Amino acid sequence: MFERFTEPARRVVVLAQEDARERGDRTIGSEHLLLGLCRASDTRGAALLAARGVTVTTVEEDLRRSAPPEGPPLPDRDALASVGIDLDEVRDRIEEAFGPGALESTRAAGRDRRRLWGHIPFERGAKKVLELALREAIRRGDRSIGSEHILLGLLHEETGRSSGLLHARGLTLRGIRAALDVWPSAM
Amino acid sequence: MADATAVAAAASSRDPATGLAAVSSLRTLLESLEELQVRNARDQGWSWQQIADGLSVSRQAVHKKYRRHIL
Repeated sequence: MFERFTEPARRVVVLAQEDARERGDRTIGSEHLLLGLCRASDTRGAALLAARGVTVTTVEEDLRRSAPPEGPPLPDRDALASVGIDLDEVRDRIEEAFGPGALESTRAAGRDRRRLWGHIPFERGAKKVLELALREAIRRGDRSIGSEHILLGLLHEETGRSSGLLHARGLTLRGIRAALDVWPSAM
Repeated sequence: MADATAVAAAASSRDPATGLAAVSSLRTLLESLEELQVRNARDQGWSWQQIADGLSVSRQAVHKKYRRHIL
C-alpha cells in the first residue's frame, strides 16, 4: 500500500511513528497521524489544517484536554516501584546468580522491550485512516495517496480520536473535499 | 528504594493506569524469573516433572510452555 504514497504522505507516517515513540505510546493512533500531518509543514494536508487554525500546538492542547484512552505507560522500573518492588535490587540479585544481563536475556523481557523500543504497531483506527486515504484518492481519481488524502481519512468518524478533534475545530469531511475541488492534483 | 515517599505515594494510588501498569510489569518480571529458573533447573538435570512440582503446575503445562526454547 505504501508504494502508492507520495513522499510527503510517507513523511507524515514516519513523523507519526516518531511522535508515538517520543511520547512512549505503545501504538500509533489516528491522533499521531494527525500530529504527523501538522508537523509535515510544507505539505498540502498541513496547509489545509493551518489555514483552519489547526497546528501541532492546538492538537497537543486538545489531546491534553480530552481524557486520554489510557494513562501514559510507566517505565517498568516505576511501575514495579509503585508496588514496592525495586527492579534494580531484583536485577542485582539475579545477576549475582546467573551473570550480567541474565534478566534482559529472557524471552519475556525481550517481548516487553520490543514493545517499548522497537516497532510500534498501528491501531485499528490508524490503519483505517490509511485505508480511507486510499479510498479518497480513488474517489477523486488521483493516482497517488497524498497528505491531503490522509487528512480526509482523519476526518472519518471510524478512525478514532482524530475526527473528534478536527470536528471540534470546525473541520468537516465535506468542507475539506470542497476545498480540494478547487485545488487540483496530488502533492 | 530511591525515594521511599514517592514509592509509598504511588503504591497507594487509586489511579488505574498506575495500578495496571504495575500488574503488567510484574507479569513480565514473573515470566523472566520463571524462564531463568526453569532453564537453570534443566541445566542442573531436573526432570520436567520435578520442575512442574516446584512451580505447582502440571508437567504438561510447563513442558508445553518451555520445550521449544529450553531443552
